[in-house]
Amino acid sequence: MQVVKLSLKKANKIPIEADTVTPDNFAGKTKEEIEAILVWYGNGQCPLGDFFTVEVEGSDSAENTKIVFEGDVSRVKRIGQGMSAGEIEINGNVDMHCGFGMKGGKIVINGDADSWLGCEMKGGEIILNGNATYYVGSGYRGESCGMRGGKITINGNAKDYLGEHMCGGEILVTGNVGLLPAISNNGGTIVIEGNATMPASEMKNGTVIIKGEISDMLPSYKEDGTEEVEGITYRKFVGDVNAGGKGMLLVK
Amino acid sequence: MRMSEILIKNANVCDPAQGINCETMDLCIRDGKIVESVSESAEVIDAAGRLTMAGGFDGHTHSAGKINVGRFMNPNDARRTLVPGLSGPEARTEKTRAQVGYNTPNTYAIGYRYAKLGYTTICEAAIPMLAARHTHEEFKEIPILDKMGLSLFGSNWQVMEYVRDKEPEKLAAYVAWGLKASRGYGVKIVNAGGGEAWGWGKNVSGLYDPVPNFDVTPAEILMGLVEANEKLQLPHSVHVHCNNLGKPGNYETTIETMKMFEKVKPTVDRQALHVTHVQFNAYAGTSWRDFETGAPMVADYLNGANHLTFDLGQVIFGPAVTMTADGPVEYANSRMLHEKWSNQDIELEDASGVVPLSYSPKSFINAVQWAIGIELALLVEDPWKIMFTTDSPNGGSFVNYPEAFTYLMSAKKREQVISGFGKMALDRMVLPGLDRELSFYELAIMTRSMQSKMYSRPEKGNLKVGSDADVAIYDIITSDIDPSVEHEKVKQAFSGAAYTLKDGNVVVKDGKIEATPMGRTYWVNAKVPADIDSAMNKDTDIKFKKYYTVSKSNYMVEDSYLPNPVEIRTEGAF
Repeated sequence: MQVVKLSLKKANKIPIEADTVTPDNFAGKTKEEIEAILVWYGNGQCPLGDFFTVEVEGSDSAENTKIVFEGDVSRVKRIGQGMSAGEIEINGNVDMHCGFGMKGGKIVINGDADSWLGCEMKGGEIILNGNATYYVGSGYRGESCGMRGGKITINGNAKDYLGEHMCGGEILVTGNVGLLPAISNNGGTIVIEGNATMPASEMKNGTVIIKGEISDMLPSYKEDGTEEVEGITYRKFVGDVNAGGKGMLLVK
Repeated sequence: MRMSEILIKNANVCDPAQGINCETMDLCIRDGKIVESVSESAEVIDAAGRLTMAGGFDGHTHSAGKINVGRFMNPNDARRTLVPGLSGPEARTEKTRAQVGYNTPNTYAIGYRYAKLGYTTICEAAIPMLAARHTHEEFKEIPILDKMGLSLFGSNWQVMEYVRDKEPEKLAAYVAWGLKASRGYGVKIVNAGGGEAWGWGKNVSGLYDPVPNFDVTPAEILMGLVEANEKLQLPHSVHVHCNNLGKPGNYETTIETMKMFEKVKPTVDRQALHVTHVQFNAYAGTSWRDFETGAPMVADYLNGANHLTFDLGQVIFGPAVTMTADGPVEYANSRMLHEKWSNQDIELEDASGVVPLSYSPKSFINAVQWAIGIELALLVEDPWKIMFTTDSPNGGSFVNYPEAFTYLMSAKKREQVISGFGKMALDRMVLPGLDRELSFYELAIMTRSMQSKMYSRPEKGNLKVGSDADVAIYDIITSDIDPSVEHEKVKQAFSGAAYTLKDGNVVVKDGKIEATPMGRTYWVNAKVPADIDSAMNKDTDIKFKKYYTVSKSNYMVEDSYLPNPVEIRTEGAF
């Protein structure tokens, strides 16, 4: 097991783009080697050691590497981008694009996450013990496919456009979400235990379950009997008819 | 321009304009021009026997103007890295600015990447006159290349009224005025009349289907504009995107259109007609179910005709962005493919649309489209009639030109691609039976030499004494290579020129940008008798007062938009 602890020396105003901070990239590296890894800072690249105090215990493969951020990193973006194995634990708030395109492994955030959490995720797991912002598990601007696999669990609330263009995988939100969750999705499962507004517009495929209240249910859904999931019976709607969709929207 | 002399030694020159077929010789350059000889003090570039051609000339590309709509519809295109070294994000360097994109690269990347392919001149295929200012703003930011653009006249109210009222002289005066207003180089006609019909949610179905409210037919618009084009003695012929583009069975309309121009007598030593992206207009069948190639019929006609040139519009598999003034076609595309759709109304002038799509070898329709472009290039015997294009980025991005060259030069390469097609696709094309392989000489004709006459730019597309010193040296020893087998090497060499010289400046060396001088913008100022001009202006004054959202004085592109203009004056034959 290799454990790498990173603590920010001084809160940064200009965001750090930490797409090189992944277990894949840290595995088997020494403190000095990790400190020398470059991250983008404004329009230039700087070594990670300029911003973080690095502590390393042990040396192991990516699967057995854990990165721990001590404290708030709310101006550090792209942590865990493209990671395929291992674990990242963030004990504080995190900036945008955390877990972007991740393929495997696990990210645990004990704080809030800014927008684009788990965007274009293909596998692995993200657990957010806090609130999320916009575009959780969505696609890059202009792409027709967002999250394709893996699971995002949000133990809190999320804002608008959750799971936009989602094509696979799973998102669970224990709290409320904002406007238009599951917009233009084409696969995957979204479960929202709280309330949602205008869910699943332009859904082509996939399953969306809303356990709380829905504001502004879209008129472009056809009611089609009931469906039972894990012992709970929901009203079943099929659509979005406007997009010729065959998605399933389950509501109480 | 710096005063300098360059001697390119041991160049294996392929210059079809002079009939030079891969002969090793020296090239002399002084002050940006090819000359007979240079002094002892000339800078020496050793071509080491490598293939040397004039700078490439892409006479039909969408590189400024509408491409910007493509950019904002496809922000994801910025990160596409499908062609290494010629696509995707690249950080700025000391010599180059930041680059992004594949089908819709930023302006700087367009300049750098064409130069890396050994191209030095491009012609933007469609300038809506009302939006010409924007086209020139983009031209200003495309480095290295010389540029020109074709202005759209095919669905213009004033044009259609003059055609209807049989006022050929005023029509010619309007075309001259439009070219000046938009700083355009030639007359582009897109789906004649169709853009106006699209304003009413309709289209024209062929050459003799009248345009709503104007009582003229596409055939009359085409004939009216070609008469004006020749009256003005414009350096380029009319440049026509035929009616019924993208529809099965449209090859008949295409041939009919070509035939209509047989009687036209050009007033300049060039073709009477250029038909563009013929691949999209060479479809047989009656629906997408029985869709098949119409290339043999079109090629058969082209082989017997000597009054026209055409370009391919070759398809490249993968993502593309269609962008055209053919509004109804883009609506049909977006509905059929469930794709994003952008539509624009250019007031009294035309329509336009942009739809991103992806060509897949697994789709039999796309596979046949891919084959049609190549079939046209191989079935038409005379390469001087053919300009190589992908109608970038409609058929695919120009950065794929080197890949597409191998389709033309290697039957083996074609077999490789064709082996991935289904039986249905194979039944609908004739390509598998064609074994013709183009030579470097023929490729040079299609990519630079024929453009010289086609656009009346004698200083372009050749290495004659007096021509612009736009030179491309590729890392190919023609005597040692069999392009039929070593197609990968050919592609590699064309993907990054060993040297590209623009006006005698080394702009690319070993596939890397060395310098980024500003290119020229060519435009045509055609002379019209003063009395006809003022009569025409009275009519357009009314148009501006009654209909346009801008005033006439704000409509004209000012000189300040063209930092490096070349004004081509024509005398006219009134």
